Amino acid sequence: MPIDWGPIWLTLRLAGVTTLLLLVIGIPLAGWLALSRFRLKPVFEAIISLPLVLPPSVVGFYLLLTFSPTSSLGAWLLKTLNLQLVFSFEGLVVASLIYSLPFMVHPIQAGIENLPVSWREASYTLGQSPARTLWRVLLPNCKPALLTGIVLTFAHTIGEFGLVMMIGGNLPGQTRVASIAIYDEVELLHFQTAHTYAALLLAVSFIILLVVYAINKRVTV
Amino acid sequence: MIAIDVVMPRLFAEGSGELRVKVNLEPGSLTALVGPSGSGKTTLLRVVAGLDVPQQGRIVVDNIPWLDNEQRINRPPQQRSVGYVFQDTALFPNMTVLENIQFAALKDQHPLIQELIDVTGLDAFRDQKPLKLSGGQRQRVALARALVRRPQLLLLDEPFAALDAQASQALRLVLLELHKTWGTTTLLVSHHAIDVQTLADRVITLVQGHIESDRQIEQRSESVRLQERITRIEYDEARHQWVVETETTQLTSKNPAWSQRRVGDWIRFDV
Repeated sequence: MPIDWGPIWLTLRLAGVTTLLLLVIGIPLAGWLALSRFRLKPVFEAIISLPLVLPPSVVGFYLLLTFSPTSSLGAWLLKTLNLQLVFSFEGLVVASLIYSLPFMVHPIQAGIENLPVSWREASYTLGQSPARTLWRVLLPNCKPALLTGIVLTFAHTIGEFGLVMMIGGNLPGQTRVASIAIYDEVELLHFQTAHTYAALLLAVSFIILLVVYAINKRVTV
Repeated sequence: MIAIDVVMPRLFAEGSGELRVKVNLEPGSLTALVGPSGSGKTTLLRVVAGLDVPQQGRIVVDNIPWLDNEQRINRPPQQRSVGYVFQDTALFPNMTVLENIQFAALKDQHPLIQELIDVTGLDAFRDQKPLKLSGGQRQRVALARALVRRPQLLLLDEPFAALDAQASQALRLVLLELHKTWGTTTLLVSHHAIDVQTLADRVITLVQGHIESDRQIEQRSESVRLQERITRIEYDEARHQWVVETETTQLTSKNPAWSQRRVGDWIRFDV
């Protein structure tokens, strides 16, 4: 039986888009959390970390309710932007952004916090803003943390199952990612196909981690 | 005139207390802040730079308040016009010497950057990363970087602490040269009597957060004049100046008398 590559490509596309968008969102957020003395910072840290402790089905359930066309937000998105976030690829991306956020933010935040405080203080006394300090001084000096954030986010998104099942269902070409396809094929007793998908995911994940550890060894300031 | 009047709770080795300092700094002065470890010297520097906030305080520089609790003024470090040289230099390891200085510089300051690189003797290392430099070279980069914005106040936190005698002497000479040329009001924290003798025109002794003594130095000591052999001397055609190096110092000069000097000749630095 020929293998359908669709779920594999969809999985890689979802992980790639999620990682790219989370880089854009996660870097300023991690920088703000690391540098800010804002009193309510722990509240934001707790919210960002919630996906780490919540079962994926819980996150998926609430996102399903929130984005459903019968909810006010879902209806508004559909009416004004013609955007349906349940049972669509776009919905999977939004859900993955929320669910993988801590995997991008935490390593970068920790990387910045582990740098000597005197670097950022020196930059401030040299007239530089926190944003420029983050971009020019802090981020270039925590490349391993950045790399860890990118890889964890990518790998975590590849392995999503419960969340995808809740908000995306199993629509070929749109939401049928590799983890869903494996489950589906096992249900149909197509063990050979399930095995192929599983082995591919295993190989991709292993290669990614291998590359990261190899690069991390080489990355020096 | 720089007027500092700050009060801040602080833990000392002897128990909790407070840093309470009221002092005026004359424009162009170089004041040494001495005292035992943990007496509040670095804390005072940090408060002046805006890195720490005191419980009560007022810092006024040329009639402009940087800090005033009563008026709820607290300028961030970016708006205080200070140059701060940290004890660990705090150079950015991802940037070269030149990039570290350029990072701090305002636009169109290339001649000033070059002047600082020349005076601090860093021309040969301008494209090196800080990790490849010696402690003394790193401190000279930190000094050049702190001065490139022409700050109103230069704050030096034990810049000689981790240096050997020769590197310290070289840095002292650079510091004196820059102070003579630019006259930046300077507050220097140091443990060493030699720094006070050779650099400062005023010495404030801080003990457990309070000023124990405050004395002017009429004449800087000349007992540490340095005599060294020239290790390299050549004429820089492009800049029309002599480049002279000794074991601890690199200096540039347009004085034609240098043409009479050779490698191995003794020269004396008057500080």
